[in-house]
Amino acid sequence: MTATTTPPIPPTPTTARPRRFSRRVREAGLGYALVLPSLLVFGTFIFYPFGKNFYLGFYRNPPFPNLPRKYVGFEQYSDILTSHDFYNSVKVTVLFALYVVPVGIGLGLALAVLAHQRLRGIAIYRTIFSSSVATSVAVASVIFGTLMNPRVGLLPWLGLDPQPPILQNTSWALVAVSVTTVWQNLGLSFILMSSGLQSIPDDLLEAAEVDGAGPWARFRSVTLPLLSPTIFFAVVVGTIFAFQSFGQIDLLTEGGPLKKTNVLTYFIFTELRERNDPGAAAVLAIALFGITLLLTVVQMRVLERRVFYAR
Amino acid sequence: MRTRLLVVGLAAALAVAALAVPGGAAPTRAGEKCQLKALDKADKPVEITFWHSMTRANEETLIRLTDAFNASQSDVKVTLVNQTSYEDTVEKFRNALATGDLPDVAQLPETFLQQAIDSQAILPVQACVDADDYDLSDYLPRVIDYYTVKDTLWALPFNVSNPVLYYDKNAFIAAGLDPEQPPETLDDVRAASEAIKASGYPAGFALKIDSAFFEHFLAKSGKPYVNNGNGRKQRATEVQFDNKAGREYFTWMSEMVADGLAVTNARTGAAAIDNYLAIGNSQAAMTVDSIAGLGTIAQVLGSGQFSHVDLGVAPMPGPVGKGGVLVGGAAFYITKETSPEKQAAAWEYAKFMSTPENVAEWAAGTGYIPIRESSVEMPVFQQRLAEIPEFIIGYDQLKEGKSNLATAGPVIGDYLGVRSAVDEEVTRMLSEGTKPKAALQAARKSSDAVIQDYNGRVGG
Amino acid sequence: MPGDGGPDVMGDRPRREGAARRWKLVGRYVLITVLAFIVIFPIYITIVNSLLQPDQLGARPPRFFPTDPQWHTYGDAWDGAHLGLYLRNSFIVPGIITVGQVVTAVLAGYAFAFLEFPLKRTLFVAFLATLMVPFEITIVTNLQTMDSLGWLDTYQGLAVPFLATGFGAFLLRQAFLQVPRDLQDAAAMDGYGHLRFMMRVAVPLVRPAVAALSVFAFLSAWNQYLWPLLVTEDDRLRTVQIGLKQLRQTSLDQVNVTFAGAIIAAVPLLILLIFFQKQLVRGLTAGAVKG
Repeated sequence: MTATTTPPIPPTPTTARPRRFSRRVREAGLGYALVLPSLLVFGTFIFYPFGKNFYLGFYRNPPFPNLPRKYVGFEQYSDILTSHDFYNSVKVTVLFALYVVPVGIGLGLALAVLAHQRLRGIAIYRTIFSSSVATSVAVASVIFGTLMNPRVGLLPWLGLDPQPPILQNTSWALVAVSVTTVWQNLGLSFILMSSGLQSIPDDLLEAAEVDGAGPWARFRSVTLPLLSPTIFFAVVVGTIFAFQSFGQIDLLTEGGPLKKTNVLTYFIFTELRERNDPGAAAVLAIALFGITLLLTVVQMRVLERRVFYAR
Repeated sequence: MRTRLLVVGLAAALAVAALAVPGGAAPTRAGEKCQLKALDKADKPVEITFWHSMTRANEETLIRLTDAFNASQSDVKVTLVNQTSYEDTVEKFRNALATGDLPDVAQLPETFLQQAIDSQAILPVQACVDADDYDLSDYLPRVIDYYTVKDTLWALPFNVSNPVLYYDKNAFIAAGLDPEQPPETLDDVRAASEAIKASGYPAGFALKIDSAFFEHFLAKSGKPYVNNGNGRKQRATEVQFDNKAGREYFTWMSEMVADGLAVTNARTGAAAIDNYLAIGNSQAAMTVDSIAGLGTIAQVLGSGQFSHVDLGVAPMPGPVGKGGVLVGGAAFYITKETSPEKQAAAWEYAKFMSTPENVAEWAAGTGYIPIRESSVEMPVFQQRLAEIPEFIIGYDQLKEGKSNLATAGPVIGDYLGVRSAVDEEVTRMLSEGTKPKAALQAARKSSDAVIQDYNGRVGG
Repeated sequence: MPGDGGPDVMGDRPRREGAARRWKLVGRYVLITVLAFIVIFPIYITIVNSLLQPDQLGARPPRFFPTDPQWHTYGDAWDGAHLGLYLRNSFIVPGIITVGQVVTAVLAGYAFAFLEFPLKRTLFVAFLATLMVPFEITIVTNLQTMDSLGWLDTYQGLAVPFLATGFGAFLLRQAFLQVPRDLQDAAAMDGYGHLRFMMRVAVPLVRPAVAALSVFAFLSAWNQYLWPLLVTEDDRLRTVQIGLKQLRQTSLDQVNVTFAGAIIAAVPLLILLIFFQKQLVRGLTAGAVKG
């Protein structure tokens, strides 16, 4: 490679043909051309719907799409955002995220730490711990849904047999859906935490050991801080995913019982599909966006301060 | 799109022209005529799509009959599209109202009636009945009454079912009960459950939380479900089940569960057949559910599974003599937004499926009720009765009892919304122990809210 | 995965030889084996249940090993429930999406890394902003768009909205920025235009990032549930996720067939996991771990 002590010389054209457009214009043209495909997709399927969504919320819709809809301005926004169903849905969504994210990260971290040891055959254990990555939301929900079935499931046989059954039980349904979600995401959480662990340099830990720090102290003062960027990433991304969970609700509880698992995404879906009301669905979707954005910003401000970047 | 407009325009022109020609049958409404002659003039075969939601044994029978129809003539070819569940069919139908991708004929559930009228997208079969001079007298009266609103028959009845009591005779014997004397009233069911539980079962009754059974119970008590003539004289605006019969049913449910005599399951999703499984797995010995399942149940038991169960079937427990069970199931609805020849073709298909022989064959293959009196005597049905005598119970239940506004059945706009509202209050009552009277009132309030929400949206 | 274990994170490298050390080792193996068993148990019991007869499923005590394996359930799920067809769709659609996302990300990433054009920063921010918009806010309009394009119940309806991601552009931009400046200059000297440089030099150098993006894109698309549920009603277009839901509904009394379906749906990814673990890990952790 050439030494780079001198600033790079811009490439000169090898022919003397006169050009119609300057190099800068051609470069800009090429730049736009290269981002155009992505922009087309974004424009049509993300930005345009995003804007139109606000507009859709201004209309109350009849039960049949072939009948005319009625313009009501902000009335539909205020009706829905102050309704009891909406508050319940927000509460359920937040509760669900609170159940799923810390437990998921904690378990993934615990497994990653355990699988990080120098034991023979540890690779097999790592594959097993990652295995739930192969299960999609449908597979996990079908498996756990049947495990919890009062007639043919194993959990009732093990003693967890309330009346009404787990998935139809107002006290247990959300917990059950959360357990399914945690298991389904365990593989991903494990892989994430493992990669984080692997990036921690050995010498730091050895130095701490030489200084006389016990295993817990080493974990707390060396491992955890160095892992904090990964954990932070997992918290932010995990919360966003939790807020967008849908499949497991649809397969396990359909928003019930008594709307105890009616997360915002499912609420949006039922407004759209069962009540045939795209206006109401639009309002709820905006609320979901707002809450997600707010939470992400809050997390970035509050949590990132405690993240230790080894730079 | 343009061709469709052209066809509609042509149909409208023809309709107007037909009006000017004397001698034809009087149309139900201006522009809503069933033009049978259009089939003769069209290019054959006229291809139509039929949306249905039959599965397993029922789907096999449907395919067999439809293939027979297609093979028996060359004017009409029917393509079956399976939408898996009634809810899916209704949702897709509603969505298709906007896109125009409607089927020509659809099997839509009994709860769809008011919406069919409101959607302005259905051609009442009365138009075809009149145009073809079709004789409905052989039908069981309540079946025709159900789908008739203000003297217009909106759909041709197809698969009709009602709830029956399924029970395990062996469990009865073990509990010291007479297997040939199944319970007839709610109190009987309770007493039997106590005996069954005492003989070692975890519970006596598997209760599926489905307010459809509540509707049948009220009809058997002779009470209408909603106001304004059960929604038939005028659009319904509120429910009327908050009465003595309603309290009796709610109290019964509440006490059965509270006393550990019944286990519950939801009516949709993965839990939908848990009540059957409870009997199969000896966790209960009785349940109430649709007779439409009998064909599949017989198949499953016949294959040797759950061999310890000796299945008994009995009429739905409840009051006798004041009313009768409702007409459940689904019917043939013909779409308006399609060409006249396709409408005529759809009518031909519906007629074929409704001949006494085919009604008998349909009933024999599925367990749905033979809705024509003459089909009961047909050999194919009699043969099935010889194998499974219990099949006649649905028919008997439908034939007996009175024909009044209560048994004609409720017509509600957001029928499924009302069902969900009642299911929710029942679920709440059973999981949180609210008093039945209060739960019934809460059910009334939320059902009324649902009805008024729909009425408001439809601009009624 | 780099070898067997890494630095002693939990510490306590044993200093004493002998019995204590051996017991600790046994203890560790026991703990990790129990946990592995718990984690894999749901999959294990699903395989077992898929081979039982329906009335054995509710047996008390439950059966943990099939003595009379009902292999036909897999055939039932594959043919009768069309899972074979759905699996095919589940490969085709994510395949299209993956190719699309990689192509658009490479093109856009290159532009952001190597080219100058007005509003470049704004556009890049716009790209990243797309990651903030939750999918639900777009479904109503996207459904209407699909409808007016006639793309409901089509492969393009399932795939086109996802042919580009801000995440992909971001990832590839970062990767392209790592390409040494010298290479660029040398290529310019040799008369390479941008396109040639991109295809001959830059893209081959960012292969790990492309692989990572491919894995991530494929997995995300494979897992899609809500959009296929809304866009396809035609049986022939169903993906395996929605197909599994339908299978469960129509086989409520034959849970063993449903379970066979669940295993069929999980097998492709399990195979990918076993053989492509390294790429999988890289794809899933791209962007998460610094350095």
